[in-house]
Amino acid sequence: MTNRSEQLVPHFDRLPDPEQIGQMATWLAQAGLESLELTNEAAGLKLLIRVDQTAVAATVPLTGAASQPDDGAGCVAVKTPYFGHLCLVHPLRDTPFAPVGTKVTQGETVALLTLDSLQVPVPAPVSGTVVDVTGQSGALVGYGAAIMQIQPD
Amino acid sequence: MSEIPRFSRVLIANRGEIALRIQRACRQLGLETVAVYSEADADSRHVHEADIALCIGPAAAARSYLDPDGLLLAARLTGAQAIHPGYGFLSENADFADAVEAAGLTFIGPTGASIRMMGDKITAKRAMRDAGVPCVPGSDGPLPADMDAVSAIAVQVGFPVIVKASGGGGGRGMRVVEREADLAQAVTLTAKEAQQAFGNPTLYLERFMQKPRHIEIQVLCDTHGTALWLGARDCSLQRRHQKVLEEASAPGIAPETIAEIGERCAEACRRIGYRGAGTFEFLYEDGVFAFIEMNTRVQVEHPITEETTGIDIVAQQLRIAQGEPLGIAQVDIPLRGHAIECRLNAEDPFTFMPSPGTITRWDLPGGPGIRVDTHVVAGYTVQPYYDSLIGKIISYGATRAEAIARMRVALTEMKVEGVSTNIALHRDLLADPAFRRGGVDIHYLERWLAQRTAP
Repeated sequence: MTNRSEQLVPHFDRLPDPEQIGQMATWLAQAGLESLELTNEAAGLKLLIRVDQTAVAATVPLTGAASQPDDGAGCVAVKTPYFGHLCLVHPLRDTPFAPVGTKVTQGETVALLTLDSLQVPVPAPVSGTVVDVTGQSGALVGYGAAIMQIQPD
Repeated sequence: MSEIPRFSRVLIANRGEIALRIQRACRQLGLETVAVYSEADADSRHVHEADIALCIGPAAAARSYLDPDGLLLAARLTGAQAIHPGYGFLSENADFADAVEAAGLTFIGPTGASIRMMGDKITAKRAMRDAGVPCVPGSDGPLPADMDAVSAIAVQVGFPVIVKASGGGGGRGMRVVEREADLAQAVTLTAKEAQQAFGNPTLYLERFMQKPRHIEIQVLCDTHGTALWLGARDCSLQRRHQKVLEEASAPGIAPETIAEIGERCAEACRRIGYRGAGTFEFLYEDGVFAFIEMNTRVQVEHPITEETTGIDIVAQQLRIAQGEPLGIAQVDIPLRGHAIECRLNAEDPFTFMPSPGTITRWDLPGGPGIRVDTHVVAGYTVQPYYDSLIGKIISYGATRAEAIARMRVALTEMKVEGVSTNIALHRDLLADPAFRRGGVDIHYLERWLAQRTAP
């Protein structure tokens, strides 16, 4: 994930190669998004990428801040990999990403950080069950803030 | 404040003592503060005191205090309309200054163009020479091929001279010449070496200053054409180009001499449309000033100028950035008394290795004429990630002798446990006869240290 806008919206004057499309699909999955459509009418180009959230999430590498068990119960804190306004509910859906009781897979997006138009996914550091959500939706959270507790499998 | 202030909330893009110093000035002017900090600085004093505090990244400065995009996003998210860069980090980064202004925010400092001009030594020197600021006397360009012409230049500049390769740097491709008789051979040899090492035989020459002092002039400029100079500081006590102890004014240099050079600096600022605080650094030897560079930011040692002028430099930076005119005239600036600053570092007093750790005792000095600028409190942990500056003791006296006496008592009262500090070094320096006479050169401290550690 990058915060440089010129890299976020590349020039779409030719079709990306398969590796780049694969990378974009990974980013989509990390961001908790299902599809991306890019159109350049002048060049007659259209690209549509769809990803299966549950399938890809399992293979996404861990990118968040380092986490470690932090209490006697062996829970692992979900820490924010950047700062921003916390979104526990996907902006395009009604249901929360990972309410208490949800089974999550390592790398799965359990929240988003929004910074203006930029969205940074917060991945689960381990596979397990969400046992507590401490972050407040809409709150401005800093880098490395603990927003959830996961009981590992 | 002007009728319509440009900003009411300031993001402080720095850490440590200067972040707290800026925060104090903001609060005194009724401005809200945003502290952005790395994970390592979560317990810093200015973070607790801020109206809004936001952790923006891990300890590594590249991902926190040196991350321009992160800082701009943090300003946007926290509603800050201005950014104060402090010193170090991004304070002299012209692209950052431009990006802040392009984002519609106020950069508390000069324009990106000014920073860029002063960041390039050649353009800076040319601008200074054009404005009548004295530079090192020299050939003012490449040496001619004719050796008689070179000799004439060297005689005019005055021996000793240093012959330098245009393409050189880092101490390579230069030769000091003491006498005219040795000039031709030195020029031939240096040109040959320069050709081999840098692929460019072009040479220039300058007066070689053997035992210069470091003298600097503080300036303050508003956006309405007023440029003021606030006297001189002597920062000759340095180790590896790091200032250790500074004083204002410069001992033994006549006030009229400082006034003349100060006025030239102010005039240079008017000519280039400089805004904010800045410092002109000079080498000074045998009555000759030679411009080295301009620092386009507030400096660590600014408090000694505040003590001798009564002007709050950081508050003035904020006012200037609001667009206010400086409400001071040059004639109203008193240069009274004498001030000394000792930089306290968490470091071994003999090896100078950083000494991070938790400070268990922190007893501060006090009394008339003593000021301490520090972010440290007892229980504070000195981080290994950043510089080792833990505070500054500033003493003021009606005379230099009084300032020294007050500082010596302050250094005795200052008690630090848990980390090693350079307090003992400062105590020894203040007792040193040459320092007490005043006017030591920039190599003095290193010579003194070499003798001290010799068996």
